[in-house]
Amino acid sequence: MARELPLGRTPLLLRSVAGKTFHDQRRSLPWWLGGIAALVLSYASFWPSVRESGERFNAFVRSAPAWIRDLIGSPDLATPEGYVRSELFSITLPILLLVYGIGLGARAIAGEEERGSLDLLLSAPVRRSRVVVERFAALAGGLLLLSATAWAAILVLGPPFELRLDPAGAAAACLLAWLLGLAFGSLALAVGAATGRRALAAGTSAGAALLAFLVNTFAPSVDWVRPFRWASPFHYYAAHDPLVGAFRPLDAAVLAGIAVVALAVATVTFERRDVGVG
Amino acid sequence: MASSRAGGRIAGRSEVPAPAGARGRMTPVAETAIATEDLTKYYDGRRGIVDVALEVRVGEVFGFLGPNGAGKTTTIRLLLDLIRPTAGRARVLGLDVREGSLEIRRRTGYLPGELVLWERMTGAELLAFLGALRGGVDHRYVAELAARLDCDLSARIGSLSHGSKQKVALIQAFMHRPELLILDEPTTGLDPLMQEEFQRMVAEVRAEGRTVFLSSHILREVERTCDRVGIIREGRLVAVEDVGDLRARELRVLDLRFAGPVPASAFQGLPGVQEVEAQGDGVRLTVAGPLDAVVRAAARYEVVDLTSHEPSLEEIFLRFYPGHDGA
Repeated sequence: MARELPLGRTPLLLRSVAGKTFHDQRRSLPWWLGGIAALVLSYASFWPSVRESGERFNAFVRSAPAWIRDLIGSPDLATPEGYVRSELFSITLPILLLVYGIGLGARAIAGEEERGSLDLLLSAPVRRSRVVVERFAALAGGLLLLSATAWAAILVLGPPFELRLDPAGAAAACLLAWLLGLAFGSLALAVGAATGRRALAAGTSAGAALLAFLVNTFAPSVDWVRPFRWASPFHYYAAHDPLVGAFRPLDAAVLAGIAVVALAVATVTFERRDVGVG
Repeated sequence: MASSRAGGRIAGRSEVPAPAGARGRMTPVAETAIATEDLTKYYDGRRGIVDVALEVRVGEVFGFLGPNGAGKTTTIRLLLDLIRPTAGRARVLGLDVREGSLEIRRRTGYLPGELVLWERMTGAELLAFLGALRGGVDHRYVAELAARLDCDLSARIGSLSHGSKQKVALIQAFMHRPELLILDEPTTGLDPLMQEEFQRMVAEVRAEGRTVFLSSHILREVERTCDRVGIIREGRLVAVEDVGDLRARELRVLDLRFAGPVPASAFQGLPGVQEVEAQGDGVRLTVAGPLDAVVRAAARYEVVDLTSHEPSLEEIFLRFYPGHDGA
């Protein structure tokens, strides 16, 4: 034995199933956080020149066909809030959080199961429900780190470029983004926990997210889509812009509710089925 | 659901006098480490195991012998509540495998058959994690096991050979000194030296009054390690035997070459001889048990050469336990 066994004290991240989920991401997570910060920095650095041509751009948008305005979210590039809303919060940040959340949610149970290492984990004295809940907690924690990084980056990296936002409004916007990622990440976790199939879990959740996005995007201009708007999580994410002080707790509650229901489904279905027979 | 929970509670009450397993000679519950009753598992109509009634006593090393696909892993995964029976029941350490699973897993060490570990962890990290889930384990004992198996715990598991992964998995099964070890094909990938070390570890567990339940598809291995053997074939438990009895009936194929032709009749009907095939100067015999009569008979002729083979497990099964072809 060439070197002393590192067995004396168990590192914090190896003391729980949730902790191990972060231990598994200890190389990838810094890249996610750094990437988000870099993204915010680049948007902030474009702000001074965008602001100058903002009014002209707004006039151009107003003259565009309705469906184009829907697709690009009727951006208002003349104000800091409008700029950050259209560049960061309307598509970029949600996509990042969804990719991270759906990937982690699908791996949480189904990924572990398909790889074959779930037997080892479940032979330890931990309840299946605890595994699900801890994986969910790790999903929520990881997404929170990403969202909080976006918030901090906006507040720290914006002002040098005169991009100033209300901290509370930005926090509320990040909260909604966090909950949106959590809703679809939990959906992936639930499908994976119920079926043990990672690709199915990720595909279902990603497909649902795309559908929800399209429904919410085209609801204003397409009559037959409009009635379904309430069923799209993106509606609760985007209907009221917290950056301009329009945050509604009910929106957050609906998104959180989706996550909680998905967690309950994951717990119940995973408890009842055979593991590792797919 | 309600009735089975009630059943579990009644059983739980009857176990109360048994203090933590090992010295429970006085109580009937603790004498049985594993007991299954008509245990049956089908996977969407595909046969797993059928009506398996198994009893493993506390303090013994029990071998679960059968060819690949016979249902060994299915049985073991039922015991750990990873899969649920189609019919029948199973108790481990006196506890129902469903109701008492958490407690069972706390007191059991398990080595998975199709071994997959977390490739990006080191061996030490994996053991620390699994140890933490058990509320901490004796680190000196872990280090001792690692030294005995010559296992490098500082290497990333993904970089290890199959045999080295098997060692890490063995350590995690043994490290909390469980009352019961459930080991699915434990010696897969271990070199002969490590197999011997493994047998010493098993012997120590038995000496401490703890129980080992291990599966294998290799007769020799089970004979070396175990007290009793359960033989499973095509999902059914076809026999449970003491290793001594099994050895007494050991089957061999003898190839004898003589200086001249010898008639098959010279060996037919001798004790233990099951099959005689004479061809030219050679005779092939299938013999169960002691070879004395055969050797004496052969000695009446001029023996040029004699070789002995072990038949495959499947051949043995076909001979001793016919009529279980799942029909």
